[in-house]
Amino acid sequence: MKEEHKEGVQGHEGGAHGHGEKYKFGMVIDLDKCTGCGSCMVACMTENNVPYKKNETNKLDSITWMRVFKATNGKPYPDTDICYFPRPCMHCEGEHGHAPCVSVCPATATDYNYETGIVSQIYTRCFGCRYCMAACPYHARYFNWWDPVWPDDTKESLSPDVSPRMRGVVEKCSFCFHRFQGARDKAYAEGRREITENEYQTACTQACPAGAIVFGDLNNPEHKVHELKQSPHAFRLLERLGTNPKVYYHSTRSWVRRAGDNYLTNERSK
Amino acid sequence: MSLGRRGFLQFCLGAGAGITFSPLPWKLMDDSAIWTQNWPWTPVPPGGEVSIEKTACTLCPGGCGITVRKVKDRAIKIEGMKGHPINDGGVCLLGMSALYKLYGGARIKGPLKRAGKRGEGKWEQIPWNAAIAEISKELNQKRQDGLSHTVASMTGTDRGTVSQLFKRLLAAYGSPNVFTAPSLQDSERLALKLMQGDYASAGYDLENARYVVSFGASIIDGWGSPVRAFRAHTRWAEKAAEGAKLVQVEACLSNTAAKADTWLTIKPGTEAALALGLAHVIIKEKSYNKAFIRDYCLGFEDWQDSGGTVHKGFKQSVLKEYSPDAVSRITGVPADRISVIAREFAQAKGALAVWGRGKGTRPMAVHDIMAIHALNALVANINKPGGVTVLPDVTTVPWPSLVQDDIAKSGTKQPRVDRAGTDAFPLSESLFDQLPKLIKGGTGEYPLSVLLVHGANPYYTEHDRTAVAEALDRIPFIVSFSSRMDETANHADLILPNHTSLERYEDVPTPISSSLPVMSLSRPVVSPQCDTRHVGDSLIAIAKSLDGSVAESFPWDDYESLLKATLGDKWSVLEKEGYWKDEGYTPADWSQAFRNASGKFEFLATTLLAGAKSAKDCLPQYSRAKLKGEEFMYPLILIPCESMRLADGPVANSPLMTKTVADTVLKNDDLCVEVNPKTAIAHGLTDERMALLSTPKGKAKVKIHLFDGIQPGVVAIPTGLGHTAYDDYLKGKGVNSNDLIGMIEDEASGLDIAWGSRASLKSI
Amino acid sequence: MDSALIPKGLKRCPFPQFALWIGAWSFIMLWAAIAAVIAWAYGLNTTNLNDYFGFGAWITADLAIIALGAGAFFTGFMRYVLGIDEFKNILNYAVIIGFICYSSALAILALDIGQPLRGWFIFWHANVHSMLTEVAFCISCYFTVLAIEYIPIILENRQLDKVPTLHAFSHNLHHIMAVFAATGAFLSFFHQGSLGGVAGVLFGRPFAFRVHASIWPTTFFLFIFSAIACGPCFTILVTRLTEAITRKKLVARNVILKLATVSGWLLVGYLSVKMLDTLYWAAVTLPKMGVNFFDMYPQAPFNLWILIAELGICGAIPAAILITKKTRENEFLLILAAILNCTGICINRYVMTVQALALPVMPFDKFYNYVPNWIEWITSLAPFAFMAILLSLSYRYLPIFPQEKELNP
Repeated sequence: MKEEHKEGVQGHEGGAHGHGEKYKFGMVIDLDKCTGCGSCMVACMTENNVPYKKNETNKLDSITWMRVFKATNGKPYPDTDICYFPRPCMHCEGEHGHAPCVSVCPATATDYNYETGIVSQIYTRCFGCRYCMAACPYHARYFNWWDPVWPDDTKESLSPDVSPRMRGVVEKCSFCFHRFQGARDKAYAEGRREITENEYQTACTQACPAGAIVFGDLNNPEHKVHELKQSPHAFRLLERLGTNPKVYYHSTRSWVRRAGDNYLTNERSK
Repeated sequence: MSLGRRGFLQFCLGAGAGITFSPLPWKLMDDSAIWTQNWPWTPVPPGGEVSIEKTACTLCPGGCGITVRKVKDRAIKIEGMKGHPINDGGVCLLGMSALYKLYGGARIKGPLKRAGKRGEGKWEQIPWNAAIAEISKELNQKRQDGLSHTVASMTGTDRGTVSQLFKRLLAAYGSPNVFTAPSLQDSERLALKLMQGDYASAGYDLENARYVVSFGASIIDGWGSPVRAFRAHTRWAEKAAEGAKLVQVEACLSNTAAKADTWLTIKPGTEAALALGLAHVIIKEKSYNKAFIRDYCLGFEDWQDSGGTVHKGFKQSVLKEYSPDAVSRITGVPADRISVIAREFAQAKGALAVWGRGKGTRPMAVHDIMAIHALNALVANINKPGGVTVLPDVTTVPWPSLVQDDIAKSGTKQPRVDRAGTDAFPLSESLFDQLPKLIKGGTGEYPLSVLLVHGANPYYTEHDRTAVAEALDRIPFIVSFSSRMDETANHADLILPNHTSLERYEDVPTPISSSLPVMSLSRPVVSPQCDTRHVGDSLIAIAKSLDGSVAESFPWDDYESLLKATLGDKWSVLEKEGYWKDEGYTPADWSQAFRNASGKFEFLATTLLAGAKSAKDCLPQYSRAKLKGEEFMYPLILIPCESMRLADGPVANSPLMTKTVADTVLKNDDLCVEVNPKTAIAHGLTDERMALLSTPKGKAKVKIHLFDGIQPGVVAIPTGLGHTAYDDYLKGKGVNSNDLIGMIEDEASGLDIAWGSRASLKSI
Repeated sequence: MDSALIPKGLKRCPFPQFALWIGAWSFIMLWAAIAAVIAWAYGLNTTNLNDYFGFGAWITADLAIIALGAGAFFTGFMRYVLGIDEFKNILNYAVIIGFICYSSALAILALDIGQPLRGWFIFWHANVHSMLTEVAFCISCYFTVLAIEYIPIILENRQLDKVPTLHAFSHNLHHIMAVFAATGAFLSFFHQGSLGGVAGVLFGRPFAFRVHASIWPTTFFLFIFSAIACGPCFTILVTRLTEAITRKKLVARNVILKLATVSGWLLVGYLSVKMLDTLYWAAVTLPKMGVNFFDMYPQAPFNLWILIAELGICGAIPAAILITKKTRENEFLLILAAILNCTGICINRYVMTVQALALPVMPFDKFYNYVPNWIEWITSLAPFAFMAILLSLSYRYLPIFPQEKELNP
């Protein structure tokens, strides 16, 4: 069923390349709607058993699979403007699945799943060399500098769907892969081969009180993301590096779109 | 000797070689790696049967429906309830924090009696019956001494059955001193009472509004019912092509200002003047709704009193005093922009003027609200789609009538200690912020002897916090019903801990700012984790243990049966769906809408006429706030800066919420204040360096964060930090903005309407 | 006291003096060992590394000492493969220096990874696309080669040589040493290259990314080139330092000068290629990514001075000194040039790791700097202490300088 959809995909986005991909999950985040409230971050951290420390103000050692960045247009008052960029893992496809991080991992602890387009992370295989973190220009990867500690009875609220990570390994957003597994298992149990758009949604998408995040199969014309990513106001972060990310952003403001990538001084933006 | 050594060396070499070529090192290598994958100190959450339970969030007045995902009997995730009329699946970060309130630190695990000095944190654990006995002994004694009126209660809100229970307890017991935490609702109810004759807060049909002028209301920073406001904003973004527009009037670039189509920068505190300036243009250009003004309004035109004197109506008063040029001088908004916005507002369909600074939790000057609401009247966007309405409440089954014995009767007839409802402030119902002035200054009629606190944290949340704390410290017996050790519980003499929001039943009335009547039901999704009791059950138990007729007003066995009886036929719907909404609800027709004596929308508040110094005081107007302190000592203006990521009310941040806070707000334990680079140059401040922030109320060391989006001369201080209670994940982080901002009294209502303070910043 | 172990006919300092010297360096080693234990026991939160600087002092130290240790393979390559016979006089020392460098690098790597007990996963679950896998395999193999090369030197110890089996073993090893030298050279070319590849393949990091020639980025070749250009200089430095400390001539001047000449011309070659690479990167690679060249050098310490220091002060100047006969033969200038040359390569390894990570790639991201803490400093500097100890032991007990007797009659 998916084969025919692939024809419509631009070559650069790497549709057909013989790996027999079934889905290509991705996101479109509407920055005009995002209020920067941070609910996606908390939803993600609760869903995925991300730990917290007493002091999380050093953002260089604070694990936030989804992190909301703040960009400003750099103009003085009162022409100042700000915009928030929620940044999950981009699940880069690179060229044929060679995401910046996947190709460098020496122990195959992170992998590009051709069935879903999701970049996985195997915590028990990672030995913590952090090469993938050096490779990721989005800072989407986080290292467990500490042993995770859940104070008081908060261990009670841990989800059994995602294993807590030990010290010394790298972790990152998985597009809530365990939810995909759950949805797929359910579909198979019911004798279906395909899962529907609603059956698999990430925790951040579901929580976003502004409805700014839309998640789905980028290859499937019936999914909302398929149309949204084609908007003239849609763009991806650091597209020019060739990371080929699967997270799209949308903004009607041109400075915001320009803030999504690097441009030479006099170069026109997308 | 040498032979021995050689032998030993050979043995070692041999052993080394042997071990190296045996499977042992490989086995050890493998085992040690497996050990690292299964470190016993890294938890493995147990699995089990998954269930989803519907309930409602009670952590803020937003009233969202939520679902709780459970694995066996553990609550592991909170999600928004799909289809709920308020949030339809969305959920905010505070709502998700309920899990931390349930399992996290600072929980009060059973009734506590103070053992050390107040605030020292030394407690004695006592059984529930002893705790109830303790409080009934105290209350019975006061009744015997004829001092029942010196017992007071303070609740976070006055809506819902639990706060009604407090009200009923005090009425049956014999005290008029029922306080609610001061809020915007206090002042907006007054404004709507004056203009529309309804003592009710406002509801906005945000979803259908198409031209919204927000006078400082940070619509997407937590204002009103936050998730609903977000969704409305999303709707406007989707309708932008069709002309939907948000105009944000604010001194600083809040998230709302950033997302607004127009950001009108204004001098802090002068929003009402701008509203009247807009009214001036609309009136001058005659673009107001003439039919509505003619048929349904009072006080628009000049009028004659019984003595024959002609007084200016709203029209002439505005035309005379609030020309764009005059308003521009007050507000700093250019005159031509005032005209442009006024024209757009008058022409737009669904033009809506919204008030409530920041999150809209603090009271405002009644006249300010009247000035802003007058705009809604000029375009007749009242009780219309996309307009303002009075907050519709859901009707419930009335309780059996109150029984009052003589002590109760005489007690309740005493004047309130805060003078609300007395000649001083005849229209106000509760003026908690008057207490420090009265108790400390000794001008109160009588000292309070007992304070019951529920759902409020006055030791933290009130302006001029130090004075509030000093005043409260003089109350000999404070009882807290908090489930977590907040600042007020920490200063209490007795704590009867309530269940947390996920362990208890509670009705959630129509969320503030809603235009639809919606009720939701908060339900216990997990069994109580600690030895706590529903506050309603505690109150019923207390009532039943009191002398006189008090118990007769409490015929219920427990809170659950009370709730069932109160919700009547809605109970089954609430149990099944989690919420109830009035599908067919439409706001009253204009002919029915205004319930004051005139039956009209009153630009001229006739209720005020009798007590007013001049008739002019009854019209919407702007008066300059009197900020304390001299300009030469305090050249800057300090304003609070509210954010979704920092809960600044009675419910505090969870660690995960605090984790989302930017390092430009909180760095280690230092709070950062925002200043414009120009301000920094003028006052010798350096980015990321410490400075001393002083106001007439206090001093604090803060870190400087330079931000272009803030008005030069203004300093923005984040709210919600500086806790002295709770656990190590929150305590001692940052500064409490309430320590620095003093109270400003609204003459009309007696409410604290402070929106900022004079301040100075010096590099240290 | 230990005279029975000291090579015949060679003079060594009294044992107590030697013990004191070793003791002093052991103190530093002990300190580093404590740091290492802390890092292993409490985790890497004890360092100043963070999510923005996943690579820091340790990786810089690794890359630098491996480059400096290149003298070992390259001298072996010149001696055995190219047949330049003079270098036999310094080869032993070069091999020991190389052994020290590589063992230190491996020890630091073991510290740097978050899960040292799983370090072997790099072999077990190897990802053939990863440059780091290539590095791991090559370095481990080459370390084995170095160890094998070191063994016959050890076996030349007076007492060990008395054991007939060991003597025979050592003798046989000598015969096949050329094979190991050639293997070592081959492996070394690859791992120096793949270490360069580690940075060059990072297409998410404009500062590090380089255009690819076949499967390797240009840094692959540049790292090889720079390593062989500076390695000999490091060998010269250590030798000269040893001579200064022992107050003896150990290697004939012509050998040193020859090594210096080779190093100088290699440096010239490296710099030319590096300049071309930098120009291409600035003119073609960066603009394609939308990045201005000057954005790559935004602020201290990562402003243009670091580039000038790397390629000019520590590049062109030593190169000029080393290739000019007159200046090269001036002892002071020779040592200065060697120091500058080694510094230049260290700067290169530093910028390719730390600067590459410090520069924000997302336009709205922030520039952060990173300063190592004491744990990282002491463990990164410990190789020098280790070097002092192992070189001292080797010098004292092994006949490593064939010319020593003849130069110190």
